[in-house]
Amino acid sequence: MTSRLSTVILNIVTWTLVAVIAFPLVWMVLTSLKPQSELFTIPPGFLPREVTFEHYRILLTDTPFLRYFVNSAILATSTTLLVVTVGALGAYSLVRFRYRGRETLAGLVLFTYLLPSVVLIIPLYLMMVKIGLSNTLASLVIAYTTFSLPYALWLLRSFMAGIPEDLESAALVDGASRMGAFFDVILPQALPGIISTALFTFILAWNEYLYALVLVNSDQSRPLTTGVMNMLITAFNIDWSLLMAASVMMSIPLIIIFAFLQSYLTRGFGAGGVKG
Amino acid sequence: MVNVIFNKVQKAFGSVVAIPDLNLEIGSGEFVSLLGPSGCGKTTTLRMLAGLEQPTGGEIRIGERAVNNVAPGERDIAMVFQSYALYPHMTVGQNIAYPLKKRGVPKSEHPARIKAVADLLQLGPLLERRPKQLSGGQQQRVALGRALVRDPKVFLLDEPLSNLDAKLRAHMRTELIELHRRLGKTMVYVTHDQLEAMTMSTRIAVMHQGHLQQFATPSEIYNRPANTFVASFIGTPSMTLVEAEIEMAEGAAFLLVGGQRFPLPPSLVMADSRHRRPITLGVRPEDISIASGEAARASVKLVEPTGHESIVTLDLGGAHFVMRAAGDVALRLGEAVPIALRIDRLHFFDRESGQRINTDAERPAEFRSIAR
Repeated sequence: MTSRLSTVILNIVTWTLVAVIAFPLVWMVLTSLKPQSELFTIPPGFLPREVTFEHYRILLTDTPFLRYFVNSAILATSTTLLVVTVGALGAYSLVRFRYRGRETLAGLVLFTYLLPSVVLIIPLYLMMVKIGLSNTLASLVIAYTTFSLPYALWLLRSFMAGIPEDLESAALVDGASRMGAFFDVILPQALPGIISTALFTFILAWNEYLYALVLVNSDQSRPLTTGVMNMLITAFNIDWSLLMAASVMMSIPLIIIFAFLQSYLTRGFGAGGVKG
Repeated sequence: MVNVIFNKVQKAFGSVVAIPDLNLEIGSGEFVSLLGPSGCGKTTTLRMLAGLEQPTGGEIRIGERAVNNVAPGERDIAMVFQSYALYPHMTVGQNIAYPLKKRGVPKSEHPARIKAVADLLQLGPLLERRPKQLSGGQQQRVALGRALVRDPKVFLLDEPLSNLDAKLRAHMRTELIELHRRLGKTMVYVTHDQLEAMTMSTRIAVMHQGHLQQFATPSEIYNRPANTFVASFIGTPSMTLVEAEIEMAEGAAFLLVGGQRFPLPPSLVMADSRHRRPITLGVRPEDISIASGEAARASVKLVEPTGHESIVTLDLGGAHFVMRAAGDVALRLGEAVPIALRIDRLHFFDRESGQRINTDAERPAEFRSIAR
């Protein structure tokens, strides 16, 4: 009886949590479909009386939304590729090769992760100006890499530590080079870890706001976060309908990626958590 | 077929010296076991031969070629790992094909060669499966298949049977012996299991703490162990090692052990009589038996029947001997029984160095050294 009661209570609590978390998202989608006139009615209506896709059309045709979207896609993809490549090779080195200062290096990498990223903005900005990268997507790729890489290294390191060394030795004896063994044997085994890392990095680069705001202020290079903000939110007015439509479209790539890779993600975090 | 030579090979991990100085020559087509307890350096030796560890000194030769600086993949060797090390994301067929692919064997040749190996090891129906869908014995055969497919010069096997159950292990042992006979390839086999080493090898290299203790045929190792380590490591139950003395008196030699005096054969008598030498005496369980008639008496401490035989522990004046007796032997604890030693099968070792100082009866010349 008590176990049944606790199940019921657990269910109520869980569903309440789900509702609290999901409500803003649902509201966002519904708002983006309402005509402007319905937005500020009192009392507010939950479902739109009339469904319109006008806001989406305006965003896609009359504003630079698509350019921001492409910028964000390039930015997130290149950051992810860079972080995964460097992270995987670095983690492999930390796990497999014996050299002086290996553990210290790994510790230092983690230490950089503990630093608040806000502290780094101004120095990074000045550096970017010096090397002529200010106002470019490349500056953001570099900035995001600096704070994604430590996490990637640690997650992938614990993954690779779990791959038996014999597998790689076998590949070497079978005629593979070091890199050959890495690609043929290590990478496929570390795939869940690599996908977790890639997702983490992609989401971070896709959603990041502060660095994008400071390092890039030309309309050509703005990513979605600052672009949409700049376009739709002014000191005098917030264009809620367009903002909600933009938010929905910004979420779609992440939702698609999540849906496909969800099982890898949970496996990845699980394994990383236990071993790390 | 090629031979393998370790010439003054050293290996240190940081300040820890794993192999101080190894000299070993493995003949062409031999099946050599590296045998020893864990930590004796046998796996390190094998991994150096494979190129997975770099020696810190000396030279390793495979055939005519010094291979110290040759990558593992270019040494023309194949290796079977204790963990089998099958690539989990590849099917059995892909696992076996991998060495062919990596060595640039034309793709058109792959199917025929995979089939040949699959037939030899009865892997045919398993080619499409993945390693985790196989039993331990099947995984073992796939690992062997991956080693065999390329026709290498030397096979390296690192405790390949240790993860199998006892029955399968015995079966795979005979299969490996058969395989070696059929292929005639040089094989180097690492094991801590003396039964495997004794049954399969043409020669055994017994190692302890990085040092080669003895390198000889199984029967030589068993019958003429070079020192007390080899003597006690080989044989189940192990050889009894007790403190004893050899005495030369009045033109005859005697063995003094447990307060008893056993005459040694006249052939061992030395001109220099009146000499005592402290030794470690080694007696195999089958070289001590219950005597008929008058003889030294030992009391029965323990009887362990195993069915076809009984292992009996005897106390002879404080020295404990292990005896192999018939399964139905009727002995009571504490009973004093007359015992006989097979004098010609005794082993004498220097008390300090532990080195063997006698030889068998057919070579008495060396035995004289006991009366230096």
